Amino acid sequence: MEELDRLEERVTWQSYLPTIMVIVGSFAMLGLRMQMGDAFINDGALMMIALACYILAALFQLTNLYAPSSMAEKIGFFGAALGVFFNLSSWLVRWVSAYDHEIAIMRDSGNMENPWVFRYIPFANLYDLSLAFAFGAGVATLLFAQRRKFRILTAFTLPLAALILTLARFIGNEFIDLPPVLDSYWRPIHVGVASLSYGVALVCFGVAVIYLLKDRVKVEAMAIWSSIFGIAVIATVSKFSVFTEFVYRAGLFVPNEIGKKPFSAPFRLELPFAGPALAVSGVLLAGVIVAFLIYIYQHNEKARGIGHVLLKFALIAQIVSIGIVVYGIKAETNTQARLQAQLAADTGQYVTAGMAMAENQDLSVNELRQMTAKQQEQMGRSYIQANGDKLYTSLNTNPVEVASLITALVGTFFVMMFAFRTDKIVDRLPSLDSLDSLMYKTACLAFAGLAMLLITGAIWANESWGRPWGFDSKETGALVAWLTYAAFIHTRIARGWKGRSSAYFAIIGFLLVIFTYLGVSYLLKGLHSYA
Amino acid sequence: MSASEETIKSRAVVRPSAPIVNRALDQISSVRVGVVTLVILVILSMSGMLILQQNVQGFDAYYVSLTPAERLVFGSLGLFDVYHSWYFQLTLLFLSLNIVLASIDRFPSAWSYIARPKVKGSRGWLLGRPENEIVEVAGRSAEAEAAEIESKFRASGLKTTVTNENGSITVFGERGRINRLGAYVVHVFLLTLFLGHFVSLTTGFDADVRMIPGSVTDEIQMIEFNLDKKEKFNVKLPFSIECTDIQQRLIDSRGTIDVTNTMDWRTQMKINDPQYGEMIADVSMNRPVNYRGYRFFQAQTIPVGNAREITLELTPQAGGEVITTKINRNGGTTLADGTKVDYTEFMPDFTFGGDGQPDTRTGEYNNPVAILNVTPPGGERQRVFAFAQKLADNVPVGAPKAGYKWRLAAFEKSPLAHVLSIKYDPFNASIIAWYVGGFGLIGALGFVFFISHRRVWAQVTDSENGGSEVVLAGEANRNQAAFGDLFKKLSEQIRGEERGNNDGRTG
Repeated sequence: MEELDRLEERVTWQSYLPTIMVIVGSFAMLGLRMQMGDAFINDGALMMIALACYILAALFQLTNLYAPSSMAEKIGFFGAALGVFFNLSSWLVRWVSAYDHEIAIMRDSGNMENPWVFRYIPFANLYDLSLAFAFGAGVATLLFAQRRKFRILTAFTLPLAALILTLARFIGNEFIDLPPVLDSYWRPIHVGVASLSYGVALVCFGVAVIYLLKDRVKVEAMAIWSSIFGIAVIATVSKFSVFTEFVYRAGLFVPNEIGKKPFSAPFRLELPFAGPALAVSGVLLAGVIVAFLIYIYQHNEKARGIGHVLLKFALIAQIVSIGIVVYGIKAETNTQARLQAQLAADTGQYVTAGMAMAENQDLSVNELRQMTAKQQEQMGRSYIQANGDKLYTSLNTNPVEVASLITALVGTFFVMMFAFRTDKIVDRLPSLDSLDSLMYKTACLAFAGLAMLLITGAIWANESWGRPWGFDSKETGALVAWLTYAAFIHTRIARGWKGRSSAYFAIIGFLLVIFTYLGVSYLLKGLHSYA
Repeated sequence: MSASEETIKSRAVVRPSAPIVNRALDQISSVRVGVVTLVILVILSMSGMLILQQNVQGFDAYYVSLTPAERLVFGSLGLFDVYHSWYFQLTLLFLSLNIVLASIDRFPSAWSYIARPKVKGSRGWLLGRPENEIVEVAGRSAEAEAAEIESKFRASGLKTTVTNENGSITVFGERGRINRLGAYVVHVFLLTLFLGHFVSLTTGFDADVRMIPGSVTDEIQMIEFNLDKKEKFNVKLPFSIECTDIQQRLIDSRGTIDVTNTMDWRTQMKINDPQYGEMIADVSMNRPVNYRGYRFFQAQTIPVGNAREITLELTPQAGGEVITTKINRNGGTTLADGTKVDYTEFMPDFTFGGDGQPDTRTGEYNNPVAILNVTPPGGERQRVFAFAQKLADNVPVGAPKAGYKWRLAAFEKSPLAHVLSIKYDPFNASIIAWYVGGFGLIGALGFVFFISHRRVWAQVTDSENGGSEVVLAGEANRNQAAFGDLFKKLSEQIRGEERGNNDGRTG
């Protein structure tokens, strides 16, 4: 909106005050934690407060979008600042907690060594990286939102930051035993750059979505893409069992030593009603896709109406499904008996589990080939015999699955919201030119950040593993994302691809960043499997 | 508009009648072809991520899980080792060629910003700039106003040039013009990185060597992967290496020697080089040793429990004080009575093997024992077992020997052996590539994205009412928002001064 563009306040050092105060305040929290010891609020609680602040800030900015109010805008902006403050505080407090945790073990065993403080920097696992990634996204949002016309960015980027923190909550904040290879001064540099550049890429994605909205991309087209994502999530969770068997099976844990992350079991427990509920959500989302495709290609208004109704039902179905999954996991008390009954009805699950166990034993091709289904079943049965009574369900067993289901739900929610008074919100968005310029700026920053990430990672790998580049899956993931941003910048130069084309590139770039951040850790094998 | 954008527009269009070589070169040097190559690289890299590569742990299980048809198709397309396939290397080479040719092609245009800056323009051209404004000035001649504007430009950090043509004075100010060459610097460092890495890959190799304290070798094992087969070849070193010590720093000394309980591994070795003499080297995690193009890194351990240092408690059979003594692995000591004690072996979980010989059941420290060679003064050498657990005197292996009852009081845990990984890089090309090329690339990207070329023109002409008219225009090749702030400041200064003079300028 051109009205917003006229709010051309000049950027001075005072514009950075909220960000400076947030960072200074977080270090004050760190000081308090060091003074008060572990009686002080823990990092998990601070993370949950940050999550709440991000959600509230986004809600106030959305309110401001639909019902303009300077009060809502201010609360939204300062809520975002507060969220970043708690987010960074959580990360800093975790640093001290990690130090205390390991020093206690060392002293108890008579080890009086004092390792250097960067050994404990919270960049050790995916939980730490998620905290830092959300901070990167939050602080980048805060810096770009210093111009009032870009404050609306908060409404689009902070829900994503909140989703990352939600994922962190499901991953769990147990400390890991740091592999020696990670004890290097390159870790704070490499992972710090990763979190900040991922955060900037997230902001770039947010700007691209706002651009598409402003550029009047049909909400129905957005709904098709968000529904495809939703269906893909539903189809792949629970090892593809929702659409093939109409069941959802949650992962199981076996306890580890006190304070350490439990082990994942090779079996999964069927949750009642969750499978059919998710399947219904998937079918409704498929209906949304069909209806909107008919509307887009045949200009059929009736199909459009049906599509919007189906979208509402799909949202309700997704909420119900997630509710059933979460309730099913939380309320489960009779795991052993139910699992035994499930396995008695389908003994093939022993074979599947045995196969997974054999694969994890790093056997040779010949050994694996020689292993019969009977032997695999026996491995599965032995596992149940040894651990059956210890197995339990937890939301933390499937962090990516639960977080992906919530992300799909948020996607559906946002698309539905964009469909409501679209003209009004489009008018209140900054001009296409300024959005395009911000998108280019953030893409350049993400590109430079990812280049730093790759190079610092290569130098570290050269010092640790003896080779700078080994096409490890995480390395390749980051390279692919970097090449995508390189293509973004060069298509802009060579082909004059600006605006909508650039926005699509920015979206693809961010999806690849997310794939590097999560997909590599959970789906692919490699040297970065700890994070 | 960036330098490259302007450059591309200024390029001559190659006519279809141009020689075919020129047309081919024109195509290869086009950014469009570069982008297509980037997309191909992205697709190939993604395929290498999704299809497990043969040198990745877990490949065997993955290979078995594939159908024969999948194995045949992936194998014949080279997808199990895509990053070393000829087509991947060719794509990288083509991209490098594209970068070189595109840079050569476009450099002259970019250089013109440095060599021949555009210090003036027509009124129409100026009003076509992204930032522009007309200010009417009353009561001051064009010459006086131009002098004022020049000082304002200078105060804002702009380098100025003033031209006067037929009574129309143009004050040109610019900052950061060197940024126009930034993209070329980026590409130079990128090529340094590619070239260095390529040289390192083609002239070097990877190998490993097992280090057991006391062992000496001048051979290392080079590994080659061929689908599910790993082949090892011995490679001779121009020097020999002797492992003198291995250490594992544990977090909890009571715990295991697993990686999860480890802070660091350290291998000390003596390099004996017929050409350069002897040197001692320490290899720790993240602290490799570079010697004559061979870089030694910590890779893995053989996690069978051993002891780096043992503490023995000796109870004299003849009575008297218990003696405590410490011995390093492969080391020895002489007791006060002249008894010589050599620490020869360690077993973490003592048992008797099928042949009746002492053996270890597992690699865990379940029943640790230090095996010693004890030579009493004037006596014969005897083999002694010092157990950690207290054994009764009537148990043969625990019975007193050489005048003492022997007990293993404490020991510092360490693995049986370390495995060092060796990267041979005779020209240190990977270091040049990643340190020079890599850090250069980071610096150049910072230079490109954080500095912009800002240009401002103020065309000042005398107006009919005795005053002057200023056509103020400007542009930046990036970060338009920040440039907008500068332009706004300049225009406010020009208009603001007019308010001070109270002679009615209008914007």
